[in-house]
Amino acid sequence: MMTTKSISRDGLASLVADLVGGGTEVIAPSRAPDGEVEYRRVLRFDEIVWSDEMPRSSLKEFFLPPSEPLFSWRQTRSDVTIEPVPTRFGPRVVLGARPCDVAGVAAVDAVMGWDYRDELWFGRREATTLVSSACGGVDGSCFCRMVGLSPESEKGADLVLFPGDGGHLAKAVTEKGESFLSAHAARFGETTDEAKPVADANAGLGGGVAPADPAAIRAWLSEHFEDPMWESIALRCHGCGACAAVCPSCHCFDIVDEPEGLLEGTRRRNWDTCQTARFTVHASGHNPRADQSARFRQRVMHKFSIYPAKFGEVLCTGCGRCARACPAGMDLPEIVSKIAALAAEAVR
Amino acid sequence: MQELRDLASRLLGDGTVGVVVGYEEGPRGVRPAFVTDAADADRLVFDRRCVQNLAVYLSPRRGHLARLGKKAVVVKGCDARAVAGLLREKQIARQDVVVLGVRCGGVLRHESGNGEALTAQTVADRCSGCDCREPRLADHVVGDLPPSPPVSTRRADRMEEIERMSPQERWDRWQRELQRCVRCHACREVCPMCFCERCVADKTVPSWIESSPHGRGNLAWHLTRALHQAGRCCDCGECERACPANIPLGLLNRKLAQVVEERFGYRVTDDPAVPAPIGRYEPNDAQEFIL
Repeated sequence: MMTTKSISRDGLASLVADLVGGGTEVIAPSRAPDGEVEYRRVLRFDEIVWSDEMPRSSLKEFFLPPSEPLFSWRQTRSDVTIEPVPTRFGPRVVLGARPCDVAGVAAVDAVMGWDYRDELWFGRREATTLVSSACGGVDGSCFCRMVGLSPESEKGADLVLFPGDGGHLAKAVTEKGESFLSAHAARFGETTDEAKPVADANAGLGGGVAPADPAAIRAWLSEHFEDPMWESIALRCHGCGACAAVCPSCHCFDIVDEPEGLLEGTRRRNWDTCQTARFTVHASGHNPRADQSARFRQRVMHKFSIYPAKFGEVLCTGCGRCARACPAGMDLPEIVSKIAALAAEAVR
Repeated sequence: MQELRDLASRLLGDGTVGVVVGYEEGPRGVRPAFVTDAADADRLVFDRRCVQNLAVYLSPRRGHLARLGKKAVVVKGCDARAVAGLLREKQIARQDVVVLGVRCGGVLRHESGNGEALTAQTVADRCSGCDCREPRLADHVVGDLPPSPPVSTRRADRMEEIERMSPQERWDRWQRELQRCVRCHACREVCPMCFCERCVADKTVPSWIESSPHGRGNLAWHLTRALHQAGRCCDCGECERACPANIPLGLLNRKLAQVVEERFGYRVTDDPAVPAPIGRYEPNDAQEFIL
């Protein structure tokens, strides 16, 4: 049985001060200089924005930065020396994250650890405690329930904050969450209250979408690789990859060697996406995914068929950022419901 | 609007075109629509939320769209500058496309506007001082001529703010803006004038522009993108609207447009017969910058 404690607003402010004072990096939704809310490093409690605005990017960049060095090299007359990068990181706490974003981190854990344990990903994971905050939905593009999560989902979180009288209830989900509660026991109080979902201020949003049947979707996809639907739904898609950039669970990367002068350089890994033509183009010039319909199909297949076949769950947390970011109005919630309807029909 | 729908229906019905590219209601406001059946033409809408520049779909790179046959495309007067650009640069031939011009009194900055009114605060930057409410490069023009859009000084103010900065401040400002870039290249993909078969940013042997989203790579990409748009950018603002990192790319484009106008007396036009400076040499061209 995991512990639930209470914490007042002042307690939370002191907790942030304790963490920052003790050398822990605190990451929370906060306002960027251009006025948008994003996950940022904060130094004070009052920098944290507790609103229904969706941070513009997911938490992904704190575990898989858009570009990160893997090692540097230096060549001498007879030798090459390799300078590794550190794989141990200082302590961090993510505070007040959206449940869909911490669920995204957990979804990528599976990929980063199944055959080879990615040292950089898990180095940052182990150094980080994820404290999410139960959510009241953002807007009509939220579809977490459709993909089997919910605005109070615990997936990926170490600790979940729920609204409570005069502050929050903090519910531990993992051992790491339990240790966090004990390490900061002075800031938390005892409670007999039960964690309750956020009153749905945006009734019908986020939580209002009916769950789809992931197994039926997977079965339908596996038999409809050549369906004419792919041609028609991807017509408006520009292949820009903004969807993948803001996605909490898209994790593909490219590895490049960047020389810096003649004798040294850095090998880096950079975000990449199946939505661009370059992703699959062969050295010969042939591209097995010749146009955008094939590329968009890949995005849907990976999230709802390929990843589920390997790891059992879908690679989408229903945050809706792809729909919000898309300059052409491609709408994953709409497309998933369409496929779910086709799948349900096929079962019948 | 019915005029547009009837026209689209007729062009599809009599086989003049295989697809009409226009606007429809989507889950988050209006979005591009691809109507291939005359009976579906009633999906088409046009109002102040129709911010997207649909000329991008005329690019010969869009293979799956080309398979639908000859295209008709709905354009606002400003979007017609992109159609002219594609004609001028020989990407499409005039007979390959039916241009459906819509009279326009300005659009919002974002497509998801929930019916908000056009005001100096909500109007798209390019609409201020619009001189093309009546599309000129068009096979058909539909709709009534609305009044001029409200005038906003938003972009001019931002330009002025940057002009007033010292070189160091300006450098720091752009470093800060560009550091958010994750190199998704949405700015390129939504641009009707970015039609290269192979973008210089995608070349790897050698890698002219590092693909990493670090300071060096981002600066190289954004300088190259902006310079390649000099005298070509049709000012549709799609790059800035598409950017998931909210980088004010329109300011860079605008600055280049001003420089081109000052030096070459050229302003991007919807007349494809007027050559752009990039494709034209005059013996008296200013060239003191050539070493």
